[in-house]
Amino acid sequence: MLMVIVSGLAIGALFAATALSYNVMYSTSKVLSVTTGHIAMLGGVFGAYAISALGQPWWLGLIAAILVGGLFGWLTDLIAIRRVLARSDEHLWLLSTLAMATMVQQAVGLWWGTEPKPFPRLIPQDFSAGIGDQKFWLPIALAGLMAIGLEFFYRRTMYGKLFLAMSEDAFAARARGVSTDRIRVASYVIAGALGGLAGFAAGQLTFAYFALGLTLTLNGFIALAVGGLGSNLGALIGGLTLGLLNTFASYLFGGEYQQTIAVGLLMVVLLVKPEGLLGAQQVRPV
Amino acid sequence: MMQQSSLDSSAQTARVLSPQSQQRDGALRTGSLSARGVTKQFGAVVALDQVSLDLCPGEVHGLIGPNGSGKTTLLNLLSGYYQPTSGAIQLRGEELAQASVRRRAQLGVARTFQKPRLLGTLSVLDNVVLGAWTHVEPGFLPTALGLPRMARADRVLLDQAAELLHGVGLSHAIDRRANLLEHAEQRFLEIARGLAMRPGFILLDEPAGGLSNDEIEHLGGIIQTIRDAGIGVLLVEHHTDFVFRVCDRVTTLDIGRMICHGRPQDVRHDPEVIRVYLGA
Amino acid sequence: MNSRNRLLWIVTLALVAISLPFWSSDQYQVHLAALICCYWVLIAGLNLVVGYSGQLSIGHVGLLSIGAYAFAILSGKWGLPAFASVALAGALCGLCGLLLGLPSLRLPGFYFAMATMAFALIVGEFALAQGSLTGGGVGLPVPAFPAPFDTPVGFYYLTVIGAALASVLTWNVARQMYGRGLIAIRDNPVTAQAVGVPVFRAKLTTFVFSGIAAGVGGALFGSLQSYITPDTFHFELSLFFFVCIIIGGRGSIVGPFLGVAVLTALPELVAPLAKLGNFFYGLLLLLVVLVVPEGIGRVFELIAQRLRPRSGVSVPVAPDLPRLAKAIASIQALK
Repeated sequence: MLMVIVSGLAIGALFAATALSYNVMYSTSKVLSVTTGHIAMLGGVFGAYAISALGQPWWLGLIAAILVGGLFGWLTDLIAIRRVLARSDEHLWLLSTLAMATMVQQAVGLWWGTEPKPFPRLIPQDFSAGIGDQKFWLPIALAGLMAIGLEFFYRRTMYGKLFLAMSEDAFAARARGVSTDRIRVASYVIAGALGGLAGFAAGQLTFAYFALGLTLTLNGFIALAVGGLGSNLGALIGGLTLGLLNTFASYLFGGEYQQTIAVGLLMVVLLVKPEGLLGAQQVRPV
Repeated sequence: MMQQSSLDSSAQTARVLSPQSQQRDGALRTGSLSARGVTKQFGAVVALDQVSLDLCPGEVHGLIGPNGSGKTTLLNLLSGYYQPTSGAIQLRGEELAQASVRRRAQLGVARTFQKPRLLGTLSVLDNVVLGAWTHVEPGFLPTALGLPRMARADRVLLDQAAELLHGVGLSHAIDRRANLLEHAEQRFLEIARGLAMRPGFILLDEPAGGLSNDEIEHLGGIIQTIRDAGIGVLLVEHHTDFVFRVCDRVTTLDIGRMICHGRPQDVRHDPEVIRVYLGA
Repeated sequence: MNSRNRLLWIVTLALVAISLPFWSSDQYQVHLAALICCYWVLIAGLNLVVGYSGQLSIGHVGLLSIGAYAFAILSGKWGLPAFASVALAGALCGLCGLLLGLPSLRLPGFYFAMATMAFALIVGEFALAQGSLTGGGVGLPVPAFPAPFDTPVGFYYLTVIGAALASVLTWNVARQMYGRGLIAIRDNPVTAQAVGVPVFRAKLTTFVFSGIAAGVGGALFGSLQSYITPDTFHFELSLFFFVCIIIGGRGSIVGPFLGVAVLTALPELVAPLAKLGNFFYGLLLLLVVLVVPEGIGRVFELIAQRLRPRSGVSVPVAPDLPRLAKAIASIQALK
């Protein structure tokens, strides 16, 4: 029973981290990128590659995951967002990020293989550690650190306050001399780095698997929508709720209907409170 | 009867300058599109405060005022994009405030937009004929099955739309893609589309914006032709000279309140109006 | 394209389609052509949703799946006549479209796309889990149609009929008032409302129709495959449909048809592309979105425009007021 709770919190932490990434990118670009889930996938895959295939120490794998994630975030902005935002057609970024997500997923599938590969142990630990297994508390710890770190960043640092200003009113921010383009790029790099880190931390839970991206995009989005777009606390609550629901449903009914249950949760929440549990009213992403 | 007296009482504070013309138009007012004592608040901001306006068929009614006076808000209330916080919107005596934008289109209320809203990938002709949607109310199935009556109706409407385009002066652009149009052409296209809706009333949101003097002359001619056809025209505009030339009656707003109302020649010499414009 | 040219193209295409089995070099090409027709039945319907009303549905493989499984179960397991099964499969998928569209079509773009993607994944889960009905991971055999459609060539002609039907229905909608209304919903919903288009109702009706089309296409597709498993309906197929429409060009019937024909045939003709598979489709989508968002059809239009002599003089607007008065009067006279 405890195992169900702990594993639910762990996978929920990964969903929450993805939702947090969504928030960071959304705050500066008003874009929900389909590539969000793929960032974590890259973190897991490249972390595994660095440590298992290249035989590097775990902290080098960690750096690799962060770098690859950040780079992918930067590329997402460069290729899929920058030119597209300039045009007025609102649908285009959905298509461009969808295209990028497909490309990166297939490319990784071709290079890494389509089978999920095991992610190496980061800290020496017995495999019989049960609920104390690092594959559970690593992602949970990371999600918590991410949320706290982002709060600190937004409230205490100048740069973070620029982010907040831009998300409230990009036009006014630009009028005050804030370089909104640079902030947007920075937000994508940060979201990428954080996502890569989250994928690395959860790697032992999810395995290094090329197809993780799409399901994580969807489940991270459900966590975001349940918790409320734009709210980091909501992202945490939404993610953990979804994770627990997943594992409890698997425990009680078998694991065949995970997606159905996730969507069911979303529908229930949206029916009661369309903007999500902690979402701001009338925040309508397009 | 009740409505008339409430208009008079608010008019007393708002200084009606042409009481004779008001009495004459009393009969027409029952067929009008009206705002009665309308207030519109956005949170703490009062955009309109107890404003009344009657748009009668067969007249051009100008609505002027400095920036932020509430002109576009009033237009949006009449056309259905906003709901009034209090007060009534009526069409020929019937309460309209709950009617959706689509319902008002069916009832014959057309409008143009401050920034022209066109379908860029369609031809100019297709853009105009779209205005005739409410005449056809096409169903998916009859259309998909290719029933002859749908095609026939389409042809008639296309011919009428072409005639409207010739009338407003866009003969040379009928088959052109709408996103290739010049600014003036876009504005005239929107008017043609509004006319295709067979409106009883057409609300023009700053149609002279960005037009040259010649084009404004043409616009004036078109507006008067529309008026002569029995359609009520609301002209929200910044070009006050143009408004005074073309309109039968003018209402002036300032900071959400109606400050003056009457014939153009009276309004333009009114000291309050002059103060508002010179002081602004 | 004027109507005489168009008639010429249609006749040519019809002749090519009808004569294909006689000049194609092997059975596989006929199979490929039949596959294109099956896809087109679905894509023609999806085209109205994505290309005309602008709703970005990336989950239609779920409807294809339901159509195929319904046909396999109704006609194969329960022994109903084939054509009745196709009709029922179409109706079932139309109902699914209604149930999916009712809550989702009110949502903003990304939410809607995610909802459709979730739908596709959920259908996959059900197909795998409901083993007694669907055969689970093992899958189901799909019966063939009765004679004369039980041979590869005969079945090919059946799919051609289906594709032609889908083309006619959607083309009728596209070129008349309803199609203009859909484009208004896509490009400027405020304008659509302002002229009286029932925005939600039109989106939903179109979506339900695309469901029916997907169901029929799915039934044909299943029969062509002759055996289906949940893996037959991988999510990337949904992306493929979507990409055909975007690349072919929104707001066109011909564009997406060329899109599906070319993109289905391409991996067969160019072997290295087959290996790249979905990476290639993603790359193509990205290029189109960045360079020619209106689709490749637009590229041809632009080239034609360059070649045509342009009148650079801008003509001033010159109203003809008497003509305008007459036009208004004639509109007012219609009641």
